[in-house]
Amino acid sequence: MDPSADEQELIRAAVGTVLQDLGIERASLIPILQGVQNRLGYLPSLAMRQVAEALQLPEVEVFGVGTFYNQFRLNPPGKHQIKVCMGTACHMMGGHIILESFERRLSILEGETTPDREYSLERVACVGCCALAPVVVVDDNVEARVSPIRVDGILLTFDIERQQEERQEKREEGREP
Amino acid sequence: MNSVSPAIEQAYQLLRAEAQQKTEILKEKPVILLGTATCGRAAGAMSVLAAFQDEIAKHQLDVVLRETGCMGHCYAEPLAAIFKKGFPPLYYGSLDEGKARRLVNDYLVNDDPCYEFAMVALEPNDFFPTFDDYPRGIYEKRIILADCGLIDPEDIDHYLARDGYSALAKALTSDPAWLIEEIKTSKLRGRGGAGFPTGIKWEACKNAHGAPKYVICNADEGDPGAFVDRALLESNPHQLLEGLAIAAYAVGAKQCYIYVRSEYPLAIKRLKTALEQSTARGLLGQNVLDSGFNLEIRLFQGSGAFVCGEETALITSIEGHAGIPNHRPPYPATAGLHGKPTVINNVKTLSYIPHIIRNGASWFTSIGTPNSPGTAVFALAGKVVSTGLAEVPMGTSLRHLIYDVGNGIKDDKKFKAVQIGGPSGGCLPESSLDLTIDFDSLQQAGAMMGSGGMVVLDEDDCMVEIARFFLDFTQKESCGKCTFCRLGTKQMLDILTGITEGRGREQDIDLLWDLAEDIKLGSLCGLGKTSPNPVLTTIRYFRPEYEAHIREGRCPALMCKSLISYHIEPDLCSKLCNVCIGSCPVEAIYTRPDMLKGIYPDKCVKCNSCMVACPPQYKAVVKLSPPAPESPVGERGSEVEQANNPDH
Amino acid sequence: MSKLITLIIDDKQVEAKEGERLLWVALDNGIYIPHLCDLRMARRTVASCRLCFVEIEGLPNPVTSCTQTVSEGMVVRTRSPRVDRLLRTGFELLLSNHRLHCAKCAKNKRCELQKIAKERGLKLKLTRLRQLVKEAQIDESPGVFCYDSSKCVLCGRCIWADQEQVKVGAIGFIRRGIGRKVATFEDGLLADSICTQCEACVKICPVGAFYLKEDERKPYKIKKEC
Ligand SMILES: Cc1cc2nc3c(=O)[nH]c(=O)nc-3n(C[C@H](O)[C@H](O)[C@H](O)COP(=O)(O)O)c2cc1C
Ligand code: SF4
Ligand code: SF4
Ligand code: SF4
Ligand code: FES
Ligand code: FES
Repeated sequence: MDPSADEQELIRAAVGTVLQDLGIERASLIPILQGVQNRLGYLPSLAMRQVAEALQLPEVEVFGVGTFYNQFRLNPPGKHQIKVCMGTACHMMGGHIILESFERRLSILEGETTPDREYSLERVACVGCCALAPVVVVDDNVEARVSPIRVDGILLTFDIERQQEERQEKREEGREP
Repeated sequence: MNSVSPAIEQAYQLLRAEAQQKTEILKEKPVILLGTATCGRAAGAMSVLAAFQDEIAKHQLDVVLRETGCMGHCYAEPLAAIFKKGFPPLYYGSLDEGKARRLVNDYLVNDDPCYEFAMVALEPNDFFPTFDDYPRGIYEKRIILADCGLIDPEDIDHYLARDGYSALAKALTSDPAWLIEEIKTSKLRGRGGAGFPTGIKWEACKNAHGAPKYVICNADEGDPGAFVDRALLESNPHQLLEGLAIAAYAVGAKQCYIYVRSEYPLAIKRLKTALEQSTARGLLGQNVLDSGFNLEIRLFQGSGAFVCGEETALITSIEGHAGIPNHRPPYPATAGLHGKPTVINNVKTLSYIPHIIRNGASWFTSIGTPNSPGTAVFALAGKVVSTGLAEVPMGTSLRHLIYDVGNGIKDDKKFKAVQIGGPSGGCLPESSLDLTIDFDSLQQAGAMMGSGGMVVLDEDDCMVEIARFFLDFTQKESCGKCTFCRLGTKQMLDILTGITEGRGREQDIDLLWDLAEDIKLGSLCGLGKTSPNPVLTTIRYFRPEYEAHIREGRCPALMCKSLISYHIEPDLCSKLCNVCIGSCPVEAIYTRPDMLKGIYPDKCVKCNSCMVACPPQYKAVVKLSPPAPESPVGERGSEVEQANNPDH
Repeated sequence: MSKLITLIIDDKQVEAKEGERLLWVALDNGIYIPHLCDLRMARRTVASCRLCFVEIEGLPNPVTSCTQTVSEGMVVRTRSPRVDRLLRTGFELLLSNHRLHCAKCAKNKRCELQKIAKERGLKLKLTRLRQLVKEAQIDESPGVFCYDSSKCVLCGRCIWADQEQVKVGAIGFIRRGIGRKVATFEDGLLADSICTQCEACVKICPVGAFYLKEDERKPYKIKKEC
């Protein structure tokens, strides 16, 4: 799926800004890719090409770096990112059960995004809260001592939020003539 | 020491005097220090903070409320220390909004220190016990953790007021050769894993040809069970910056990097603030403390790759490539970043430096064991009561660490093993509990100091599963460059997975052992070389568990999902409570005509929810291994474990 | 410029320039050491195949000969129980992820794996390990050659040829761990990439991963080594 003209423009602009900030040295490749992902949420093909061109690197080299590190995403993430810790402490305290609970509830596997782009589910290796295992990072919040019941709670909160937003939108639409 | 320069001393004295003046004013007012490191936040510290703020505003109190780092008592988060004149300074643990409001109302407004939920006093007094009154206080000795949680990491004055950066001032007036000699005499060994003598590393770099030279702080803390470095970065970043600056001055580097993993956003934020503040005070940057020494420290964020903790991979990563290790020699000390001499040290290693320079090498060697002086910092996690950070002198026994500092095993379970050193380390059994910990003793036992991760395992943890878990980790994190690690860990993982799923073969244990030995010898970098340790130690100490899986299809710890089944014990089930039915996420529990509950084995996903949910007075849910098709409860010869659910 | 030194490899006295890599000194003197990843012309040794282990007197463990530089008086053994054991395991590990069908392979009789097996008396089949190869699509898009990733042993020679020798930059390593692979940008077809079809990679590949289409049609025709 090729991005639309608008999207292409957006990507070009984002990459341009990052390159301006960080320069075009080889050693800046990783910070550049991080910057692009911070702005766009992922590394679109076009962005990697543009970076390769600016840094005068083979495109495959940029792709190689982008696929080596866990943090880089090649596809747009969901609106809410759920990262289940699968570090030692969390695993032993039932992290795998939590991951399975999310997989079951969202009907996706780890590493995937729901078709409605609401949630993406990832595993992360230790966020440093082992003392409060098992841990889940939901968007930017760290949830401690998560149980399968809490998994339902987390998702329910988002569902309610979304329903409220939708209602709000409808109301606003209704107001407009 | 030679050429004492008064200018440097003066510049420093001025900074410290200002800082002390500023913090002195604070002592007049009540002070609340609330731990808002990642662990605190996860436990709800931010809402506690809001409650404090709100309540203080309501009463229009003149109170200082500061966010600090991690005090090491993660089990009791959210945690605050309150200082009020006329009362002993006290720690309050497991706070929530209600308790925060009560503390303001009852303690700060009125004079009731709420002893009922105070945890411990920070100074000896007549009212409340201190840490020294508990076994923990006897065994702990805090050096690099000492200020964690008691200073505001985002306010450099807190650090300066406590003599922070005085070691840097002293270093800058000394000869670099003297500094290196001092570190060599202190016998400080690297805390990043292998325990290499830091002074020797610095000397090699200083004597190596090539310029510029670099110092890199390794804050990639990739061991999935260690969080010491995170806590240090979030709680006392200036301690690290000071150590880094001293290292740079000693080896003759003008540029440093701190390589932090991106999974630690708060650590990155606090480090950035610390860098800005110390640069603003002239403690970094151009002409540090008027000494003529220039120093630049840059942050480099990792992107999620455990192997980047390995020093050659870390360097490749900073240079802008995939983090793929290279053959050593050449060692980074002679040819590192951009081919130039480079020192790489761990966060903990560098955090010791200011203390050694301030207090002298002989002070340091007076702590710990002759070959591993100083303290060791462990991240206690898993089935131990007091999870968190513990700093003990090297040479402390595992038993003291787990039972006295960590307060023993949760839920009165039986200790089974302790996993030390993460994916590079190993699992030590009960018979090793009296082992005194230092670099060499752990290595001999087959484990490794590693990053200080210490995960305690109890009777419910399966040792084959833990080996499988680590192999799964190393296999996913292997860079894939070399044959033994890329394919060897995959082969071992497949065999281990087979065993945990009941497909083990009699010859598998020997094959695992042989592969493990070859991978150790044949791999290129430390990741591959140490990846077999979890397998080797579990086979060495827990072989019968492997055999039970293979020969009987039985998981003695009742953990391996393919080898267990869930049942409801008719004699114990209350018939009327129905709690399990509600707890099951997949509707696998049904009510029989006689009101007893049953579990459809084909529907059950073995999530353990029902076992947790079944009220403690019934404990009617049981696990069986090998799995039984229907509910043959009471059958002999299979392991049965009853629902054990003390605190729900 | 460098000074000449003498060393002993398998009881044979040989001369070499100081600082040369042991692997090439041995090969130049007719002493075979299994090897896949090292290239004499390359600036940097990658030491990734882990097949070239030897024992050196005075060193506790076997070392890779491609990373070892020679020095005066060095005493080397290319065979020992430990070296042989490492090779046996390393070789079988590679085979466990290599689609074995020698009889139909375009590189039959010219494959470096076959050579190692023959020199060291190893079997070209799995004896202890499980087969890991996944079915992979063969890239037949270039005009005269193909790329079959299920045969690749990740020695990296083709990437060196592509990036350093002919300086095209069409292929590189992507992903990591067991997923590591030689591929083009976004793992697409060679014909859709900037590949100039110069065949440098085909010439250098030691196994049947990059191969000429004509060799597949006439699998038994033995061409002269270049
Ligand atoms: C796979 C692997 C991962 C490592 N991860 C870390 C790490 O996260 N932090 C660290 O300080 N050292 C790590 N090390 C050790 C470093 O390579 C290096 O030895 C260390 O940073 C040196 O610092 P020290 O002398 O202060 O211990 C790792 C080593 C290996 C082989
Ligand atoms: S041992 Fe593993 S991580 Fe290290 S270079 Fe080899 S494949 Fe990479
Ligand atoms: S044929 Fe294509 S991929 Fe191979 S070396 Fe030439 S340009 Fe590179
Ligand atoms: S394709 Fe051939 S040359 Fe390239 S890495 Fe694979 S085996 Fe080596
Ligand atoms: S293991 Fe999950 S936070 Fe460390
Ligand atoms: S030739 Fe030495 S490791 Fe490959």
